[in-house]
Amino acid sequence: MNFKVWIILLFLTCLTFVIGYFNYVNAAFVAIILVTVMIKVQLIIDYFMELKNVTYGYRFIPTLWLLVVITLIAIAYYF
Amino acid sequence: MTKELQTKEKLPPGDFGIWIIVYVELITFGLLFVGYAFARRLDVALFNESQLLLDTRFGFVNTLILVTSSYFVVKALESIKIKAKKEASALASKWLLFAMGLGLVFIVNKIIEFSQKSAQGIDLSTNTFFMFYILLTAFHFLHMILGVVILFNVRQNTKRGAYSYENYLGMQTGAIYWHLIDLLWIVLFAVIYIIR
Repeated sequence: MNFKVWIILLFLTCLTFVIGYFNYVNAAFVAIILVTVMIKVQLIIDYFMELKNVTYGYRFIPTLWLLVVITLIAIAYYF
Repeated sequence: MTKELQTKEKLPPGDFGIWIIVYVELITFGLLFVGYAFARRLDVALFNESQLLLDTRFGFVNTLILVTSSYFVVKALESIKIKAKKEASALASKWLLFAMGLGLVFIVNKIIEFSQKSAQGIDLSTNTFFMFYILLTAFHFLHMILGVVILFNVRQNTKRGAYSYENYLGMQTGAIYWHLIDLLWIVLFAVIYIIR
């Protein structure tokens, strides 16, 4: 599974770069970028940091951080 | 469902102290990311124009490097769980060396990027965008240096056989810190280099 996670992380990083490098960034693509950030960070939390098999309390703290930070960034961008 | 609950670990991996550090770092960087996003709202044009002066390729390559080095640290932890101790230490040590090597490449890349910006006359006082850019990337850069030092120490301990499949807490603790640096960079790359 960790190998798959690594490949997904590489793929999503390339996707983010292509959107930015070729100036495709607009309101819709910002949403896609923020979603890819959420997926990447959650994968690192669950698999690389091994919080997937830990009681929900400990897993929830970084996930909550991620949700709050990404939501506030989205609010600052869209509103 | 009950079976799943029973198999969950009660405490997170590594020394519990590292998780306190993780939470403090998440809050600190989180405030800076959100601060950047709301500062951008006040002058979107300035932030967009300034961002064009960044070379996205540096951020991209450094993200690939960090993600890969994180994976190598995961491989080191997988290796140390092999029961044959000599083989486990040798293999884990090799993966840690690769991870550390990539960490050093990241640092060199960042020094080149900082030098280029400095040569362009860009510093903390240039404008609000570059104030955040330098503050966030330099702060992360310091974490990278500490991370490489930690990996170096973990590798030294691994080489002298301090870890085994029964005791790898120290390596696990170092790994958590390394993944934290990776995680923070992923958000930083998207927010500072890409979103406009």
